[in-house]
Amino acid sequence: MMSTPRKKTRKIIVNSIIAIVAFAVLAIELYPIAITVLNGFRRDIDILSGRPFQLNQLTLRSYQLVLKNVGFQVGMKNSIIVGILSTGISVLIGAMASYGIARFHFRGRNGLAYSFLVLRMLPQISLVISLYLMFSAVGLRDTIAGITLAHTSFNVPYVIWLLLPFFTAVDKAYEEAAMVDGCTRSGVFFKIFIPIVAPGLVVGAVFAFLNSWNEFMYALILTGVNAKTAPVAINGLLGGETLTWGQACAAGTIMLIPVFIFTLGMQKFLIRGITAGGVKG
Amino acid sequence: MSSRTQSIEQRDSTRLSGKARGRAPFLFLAPAIIVVFAVLIFPIVFSLIVSTYDWPLSEGAGARSFVGFDNYINLTKDPEFWNSLKLQLGFIFIAIPIELVLGFAVALLLNREFFGARVVRSLLLLPVFFLPILSGMTWRFMLQPRYGPLNTLIVNLGGPEVSWLGNPITAYIAIIIQDVWRMWPFMFMLLYAGLTAIPQELMEAAQIDGAGFWRKLRSLTIPLLSPTILTAVLLRIIDALRVFSEVYVMTEGGPGSATMLFSLYTQRQAFGYQKVGMASAMAIFLLILSIVFALTLVRKNMSLDVLEEKAGA
Repeated sequence: MMSTPRKKTRKIIVNSIIAIVAFAVLAIELYPIAITVLNGFRRDIDILSGRPFQLNQLTLRSYQLVLKNVGFQVGMKNSIIVGILSTGISVLIGAMASYGIARFHFRGRNGLAYSFLVLRMLPQISLVISLYLMFSAVGLRDTIAGITLAHTSFNVPYVIWLLLPFFTAVDKAYEEAAMVDGCTRSGVFFKIFIPIVAPGLVVGAVFAFLNSWNEFMYALILTGVNAKTAPVAINGLLGGETLTWGQACAAGTIMLIPVFIFTLGMQKFLIRGITAGGVKG
Repeated sequence: MSSRTQSIEQRDSTRLSGKARGRAPFLFLAPAIIVVFAVLIFPIVFSLIVSTYDWPLSEGAGARSFVGFDNYINLTKDPEFWNSLKLQLGFIFIAIPIELVLGFAVALLLNREFFGARVVRSLLLLPVFFLPILSGMTWRFMLQPRYGPLNTLIVNLGGPEVSWLGNPITAYIAIIIQDVWRMWPFMFMLLYAGLTAIPQELMEAAQIDGAGFWRKLRSLTIPLLSPTILTAVLLRIIDALRVFSEVYVMTEGGPGSATMLFSLYTQRQAFGYQKVGMASAMAIFLLILSIVFALTLVRKNMSLDVLEEKAGA
């Protein structure tokens, strides 16, 4: 049998080895992201020549170029507008529906809730062709309203399921008390529930925004010059005859800022955020 | 739960169900239902209709005409359709097992406290939230001949220079590498959460009974984790069925049609070949496939009931 100090030493050694392996795995995994961020600060000549990285290669040239690029400016502006609009609409509509499912027992309740869950998982390509034809017919193609509506279509079912655990966790005694005091249903929703589930609303808003921010296929097919979002603009930077890696990487790094802030700030909710309803409680 | 709160809840639930017969639930659900009908249900129905037509994208290309099931029949005769289906299924059957094994191995490794454990666990998830188009772009860069970092590494190790994205087989491997890189941390995240939920006493009891690492893994960990594994795999299948952006940015389906996954070929049919009817038939086919997997997941987890048990507990 080992003595306690020896056991302790062994434990420290094992833990150190595991820490080293873990950080090595992390370094390999994050290397491609680091390369992309770094390339945004290098000139295209240095990137394309395959020269190893040196500190004196660092420059803000690609950022200057890409921030002056009209296509990217329009895309950035549209991405922010579409992200905020579709998030706002989805959180409002989704929270109401989530409350309706959590608190009312009506015929077809389960069926409706599960339909929302299944609808969240449909492939975009199955919807985008008819959306294209529909939007063309009613003049919504290449408009902010159209692409916002398209993003709302996947965010509403998403928010409903993300918020369900928050709504069902609210103690029924609160509404009981409020309704005894003569509060109406919508009064209960806005004055009692909204403040209690506010943290959930923030989580829902953050992930809905990221869903919209990261979305590419709808934007590629349903928008053109006017309403294109930043991912489409970045794709455009990659499409030309000469590859402008520096600018594309600078643009990509700008797009990554909210992604990094939100995912690192939302640690506790990442699993819920990415699976929303697909995983038990 | 105390008997007092229980009686309040009972009283409350009878009251609520009395009220719920009114319009109240409908008023709260109406906006969501309207949106879902307008931009999800209606497009699906419309797709079904379009899929029975010969429907050219631009009006100049000829008139629309009803053709019944011809689009579906023509699909079965289209070698490109079978090719894209084969590539799509291959993508799922190769990428997801690798992601599962990698994610599981790292979850086992990191399922203990060590210096910096929290940092490693949270930073590992960054690729999952990385924009898909940036993932495609990053790997397109990584795999470039001459200046791409992966090629530089291979050449420095004495290997040959590979034009990854210029060669059918290596391009297919490349899109799988990209997916594995981005998504194994997703498997890790779910399996790690599952591992931490296994009671420590069970493991200790097995240890005392003299079970080694592999024995514990085979008889304890894997059986206890299998519901989590199934859920994670189903979620990944549903997600992998709709892969588009990453591959579009990386290869646009090429070279030739070596990486023309299902969504890419559907998009090509509609907006390249302008055959919207054919594309809609493909869309419906993929839709049905996805719904089968989604329903399997939903039936398996029955999340709503679980939520209520939790709320009532």
